[in-house]
Amino acid sequence: MADKMTWKRFLKLLTVYAKMDLGSLLRDTKFMLIAIISDIFANISAISGIFLLAWKFNGIGGLDRYEILFMLAYGSIVNGTIEVFGSPNAAFPSRIIGRGQWEHMFIIPLPYGIQLLTGFFPFTCSGRFLSGIVLMCFAVPNLTSALSWQQFFLLAGNGIVSIIIIVALSYLVSSLAFYAPVQCEEISTTVRYSIEHTSTFPLSGMPDFMKLPLLTIFPAGLTAWLPALIILGKTPVFVTIYPVIFAALLSLTAAHYFKKGFRYYVKKGINRYHAGGHRC
Amino acid sequence: MLKKESTVITQADTAVSMDNVTKIFTQWQRENAGKGLLKNLFKPQKKIISALDNVSFNVKRGEFVAYAGPNGAGKSTTMKLLAGMLQPTEGNISVLGMSPDKDRIKIMRKLGVLFGNRTELWWDHPVSQSFEWKKAVWNIPNAVYRKNLEMVIELLDIENLLKTFARELSLGQRMRADLAMMLLHSPELILLDEPTLGLDVVAKRQMIDFLKRINHENDVTIIVTSHDMDDLEEMAQRILMISGGRIAYDGIFDGLREITGSPARFVLTMDGGFVPSLESGRLISYENGVYEFEADITKFPIRKLLRQLSDMDGIKDVEIHKASIEHVIAGLYASWK
Repeated sequence: MADKMTWKRFLKLLTVYAKMDLGSLLRDTKFMLIAIISDIFANISAISGIFLLAWKFNGIGGLDRYEILFMLAYGSIVNGTIEVFGSPNAAFPSRIIGRGQWEHMFIIPLPYGIQLLTGFFPFTCSGRFLSGIVLMCFAVPNLTSALSWQQFFLLAGNGIVSIIIIVALSYLVSSLAFYAPVQCEEISTTVRYSIEHTSTFPLSGMPDFMKLPLLTIFPAGLTAWLPALIILGKTPVFVTIYPVIFAALLSLTAAHYFKKGFRYYVKKGINRYHAGGHRC
Repeated sequence: MLKKESTVITQADTAVSMDNVTKIFTQWQRENAGKGLLKNLFKPQKKIISALDNVSFNVKRGEFVAYAGPNGAGKSTTMKLLAGMLQPTEGNISVLGMSPDKDRIKIMRKLGVLFGNRTELWWDHPVSQSFEWKKAVWNIPNAVYRKNLEMVIELLDIENLLKTFARELSLGQRMRADLAMMLLHSPELILLDEPTLGLDVVAKRQMIDFLKRINHENDVTIIVTSHDMDDLEEMAQRILMISGGRIAYDGIFDGLREITGSPARFVLTMDGGFVPSLESGRLISYENGVYEFEADITKFPIRKLLRQLSDMDGIKDVEIHKASIEHVIAGLYASWK
């Protein structure tokens, strides 16, 4: 029973969760398919408003119809990937803390990061991801110029950066849950869904006082709009690096505050005596 | 402290060591009335609670120790400290020679933890799926897993539970499945917090027999908390009692009886009209000609008491019981208040 974490071991852990997820799908196929299809419908209806506007006005803010669809598909793939790896709770750490579920994690002989990373649900949580892929398959062939392999590389790279930004933000706000578990149980849900909904709006042509906050303090613009511009080659080259730098700084900040909150939680936290209480 | 049995324990023999451990919590005091609400807004009232106050004890490898105390005494806090779920305010803790804070992962490979009020089983999966998950996450070798699985299936009688979802199990079935899962990685030390909570007599019997067996045969160290003192006495060789965050007793169960005066119960069933009088006993209850007396047999030898009884008229039946540990401890708890 070696302690060492290798890629082989990591993949084995992913496989275990994938097998469990497949088991759920095959055992309760009817209900699971309903859930997956519901996710697909929910995702498409959430982004269809923007796409219909783009269709009606032949594009929005310098992006044509299919570039808008590309942006929306990109956002769906990013959020869908987080759901595949992060559902039900790893992408919503404040839920884990607020519901007292971290106590289960204490007794598992794996680093917390690995425990959070290996929660892999590729079947039952794939609705949004699949709808994003389908939309991307519609968008890419209809773009005015075909994507080069460099642009596909940028698509993958920016996708990872956007995922890091969303997850880091979720962990940053979730660090508050260590201090007030009950009150902050759903804080990551609120922030994540707010980012996700706001990210569907193309920011081109918006005044700076509206655009800048959405690229800094509430970085919804970095999870779909700006990456789409970067991939489609509609920004100066130096802008390409901005989401990467932002993701790195946000991750470091989130890691710092999450660790700080965690130390407080272990030192002070207990259900009966904590000011905000914990659910058992 | 009422009694402390001192024994020399070497590092290698020690499964658990707590050295002057203190755990302090802050409890906010809140009022519901208007003035109190305003006061709370500007100057919140805090109460400092010492869940553990300079607690020290050692548990040897292979021991079966009961950890008891009244509600709020600090039992669950101790368990959480040992499992690394909390850190002490002061003092040092060693579990299997390691620090729960620094060596969490190494300890968890050798430690089994079961809290009666929560489950480690996957709620929406069959029990066998949770076992498979544990095998992969704990990286349990195939041979060890198979051997332990066969053992727990047989001893805990869970064969028919393996295909059932955890959420569909009764409490007793769930506890058995949880206990089985906890043992799959061959833990050297087991921490059980209220494992018999809510179990019926059959399920409780099964669990007690199983724990005694793995302690005896596999030399597994077990620390168990429970409010059921009779269960604890049956399972454990030693009892650690905690009260108000301090160790109040550390020793064998019979030692508790000696301390509290070793009271015995005499139940006398009398013929109609006869009223017994036991010189050295205290009448506790009376109903339909059945009288119950309590007497301290360390002060009044049983021979003397039996002589008194034989001289008494109208006795139909006599029953003599050693005081149950439940009564002894209830007396102790009352005296600590």
